[in-house]
Amino acid sequence: MRLKTIMLGLLVGAQLLPSMAATALADDDKGITLRVAYDTAPVSLDIQEQLSIGMLQLSHLAFDPLVRWNRDLEFEPRLATSWERLDDTTMRLHLRHGVTFHSGNAFTATDVVWTVRRLKRSPDFKAIFDPVERIEAVDDFTVDLMTRQPYPLLLNLATYIFPMDSRFYTGMSADGRDKSEIVKNGNSFASSHLSGTGPFEVVKRQPGTRTEFIRFPNYWDQHSPGNVDHLVMTPIAENATRVAALLAGDVDFISPVPFNAVQRLRHADGFELVTMPGTRITMLQLNEQRVPAFRDPRVRRAFAYAVNQSAIAERLLKGFATPAGQMSPEGYAGHVAALEPRYDLAKARKLMQEAGYAEGFSVTLMAPNNRYVNDAQTAQVALAVAAMLARINVTVEFETLPKNQYWAEYDERAADMMMMGWYSDTSDSANFFEYLTFCPDPVTGAGRYNASEYCNPQIDALVRRANLTMQPEARARLLRQAERAIHDDAPFIPLYWQNLAWASADRVEIAPVLNVMNMPYLGDVVVHPR
Amino acid sequence: MSIQDPSSPTTWRRFRDSYFLYRLQRDRRAQICMTLFVAMMASLLLTPWLAPSNPYDLAQISLLDSELPPLWIAGSDPAHLLGTDAQGRDLLSTMLYGARVSIAIGFGAVLVQSLLGTALGLLAGYRGGVIDTLLMRMADIQLSFSTLMMAIVIGAVVKAAFGGAFYGDYGVAILILIIGLSEWPQYARTVRASVLAEKQKEYVDAARVLGFSNYRIMWRHILPNALAPIFVLSTVQIANAIMAEAALSFLGLGMPETEPSLGSLIKSGFDYLQSGSWWITLLPGLLLVALVLVINLLGDWLRDTLNPRLHRARHEDSR
Repeated sequence: MRLKTIMLGLLVGAQLLPSMAATALADDDKGITLRVAYDTAPVSLDIQEQLSIGMLQLSHLAFDPLVRWNRDLEFEPRLATSWERLDDTTMRLHLRHGVTFHSGNAFTATDVVWTVRRLKRSPDFKAIFDPVERIEAVDDFTVDLMTRQPYPLLLNLATYIFPMDSRFYTGMSADGRDKSEIVKNGNSFASSHLSGTGPFEVVKRQPGTRTEFIRFPNYWDQHSPGNVDHLVMTPIAENATRVAALLAGDVDFISPVPFNAVQRLRHADGFELVTMPGTRITMLQLNEQRVPAFRDPRVRRAFAYAVNQSAIAERLLKGFATPAGQMSPEGYAGHVAALEPRYDLAKARKLMQEAGYAEGFSVTLMAPNNRYVNDAQTAQVALAVAAMLARINVTVEFETLPKNQYWAEYDERAADMMMMGWYSDTSDSANFFEYLTFCPDPVTGAGRYNASEYCNPQIDALVRRANLTMQPEARARLLRQAERAIHDDAPFIPLYWQNLAWASADRVEIAPVLNVMNMPYLGDVVVHPR
Repeated sequence: MSIQDPSSPTTWRRFRDSYFLYRLQRDRRAQICMTLFVAMMASLLLTPWLAPSNPYDLAQISLLDSELPPLWIAGSDPAHLLGTDAQGRDLLSTMLYGARVSIAIGFGAVLVQSLLGTALGLLAGYRGGVIDTLLMRMADIQLSFSTLMMAIVIGAVVKAAFGGAFYGDYGVAILILIIGLSEWPQYARTVRASVLAEKQKEYVDAARVLGFSNYRIMWRHILPNALAPIFVLSTVQIANAIMAEAALSFLGLGMPETEPSLGSLIKSGFDYLQSGSWWITLLPGLLLVALVLVINLLGDWLRDTLNPRLHRARHEDSR
């Protein structure tokens, strides 16, 4: 459920005035300086306070996870050096020796145990850590993670475990409050003090405008090529301003790059642009409770055949998106290479005819219209889809709304077709099914964003079985089976995975540290001196 | 020589002898503007026959034709004289249809403003006292807000109350009402000023002595003599209303994407400006400027024509 918090982060970020305080700091002052402009500022220094992309980016600067994703979506050991399954519900993690926190305390198993227990108390993280039953330290550098049921995604969870300095965060602060407490948007000890193991220490922070870091001299990873000594983060919420700041040389690295500036940066001299196929699926959900015609799988399939995803990705989004024929992007366990976008107008017309709707019918469609960043053009996409559906005689009455109003309408299931974009929290296919296609169940929260109001217990069972299958190959097979089944049943029209884009001055070698999770590992970034 | 109301039909003879025509024949700028205005109006009336395609018919547009440049640039398609927009709609057709929407909203909004403003201004000016104070303070309060802000507030309330689908279906009517309601004080103040001046004249006293009702004196005696400034104001206000609609549409509060006005066309092309497809924004923008300029120049000329006193003063002090 990272979606909501990302939106929240954007809203908060949008209110902060872009501060252009990141004025030139000459490289020779404190070695090499990297000036970074993201669209939002971290809301706090307590990395467990909010689950959002901004906070995770901060986590990767000042902390280290137990494991992290590399560019090929494989796990890379960080504070955990190796791991093994003891049984279906227990995983043993061996921790790295010789790691110190910014405070000077040594990193041990106690810190990991303390961190996970705190995560289970954090309002934002506890849902993700719900499968974890408990964690035990075996010795100083070994911990056992135990789940209630067999849970194959434990390592995915471990990418969210950034060990915090338990001794630093224990005790009473000067004003007599528990240092470990988590206060949302409040004034806790952890929200203004930080001690992690990460490559950068926070030296100065003006909330919402500027955060300054210096390289942690005792950083454990001596093999890291990173050579940045001084890092300045300045949020710039306004897209055009962020691009202009990069072009003017006020900052060295920006993220995200707005979609309409991609062409310009690609051809600009002295700058490097990196794009990657994203993992966020955008789809149109067909509500079969509202429209009886959608209960006929032939009609749903006809809709899926009528939409030309490639034209949308190529023409409207300027090739800045990957046309999608399924939910799982490449690299995910459930991705089926054979499921390509299936545009075929003749087939769509034939299916409509077979279903008895050759004359077509009328549906309503809602889409958000905020034109921010890489979510751009959703209104244009919706209009293009309406034009494509006109070819099978379907009249689309469409309405676009600002994002914050849109989600209220979405929760009401207020239109026959609704647009949805979804990141998988666990970087795993099952998450898509659980939230987007499971039979809606208000008690467990399954199918929370299933605006198709589609219910197919067989597919749900496949995914549930996959979630209990520990053997990766067998599990992937089940997920692929589910992906195929949902493709045949077509309760939604997959549209595209929006690409990600970053840009920097060309003396900054950003490409090696970027990944589809949109968490640049800036600790490893190499900057060439001017 | 009498001042003629150009919009009310009179006999051809009276028109030919009119000061209006006399002035038109002697003013080259007015002739050009008049010609352009008539040509624009005619082409907008004949749009369904003139336009190469119907941009409202989604089945006619294809995304694969998107962003074709105008005819004089390499890579264009002869079927699309001025190129296509991001959705593949023929830009010439979309501009013609869009200008129709803009003009309809402009005229409609001015009709609403002038009816409301004239009635209230007449009442305030003639009755005076509490009614006058009340109405004019209302106008003052409303004038202290920017009209665009008023329009945004009214638009947001309508959208919240009736839902966006309703807004989409009745976009033109709602925009007419919004712009009409937010600009009535302009008329009310102008009319009130004229009425205050006219009220002092002997013919009003005469009418009163003859025992005519207040209603009759207001509408039949005073109003016709206060009409000239209303016509002049209207030309300015039509241009203003078109601009207001364009601004609202540009902000996303105007016409929906499926039935673009000039303003929403400019807005939708704005995103493509940096990717090189400048024509989607620039061409509708030029049309909007031309339309507003022609109407404004005509209004300017009409003001001079209908107010000989101002005409004489023009050489010393242009406003």
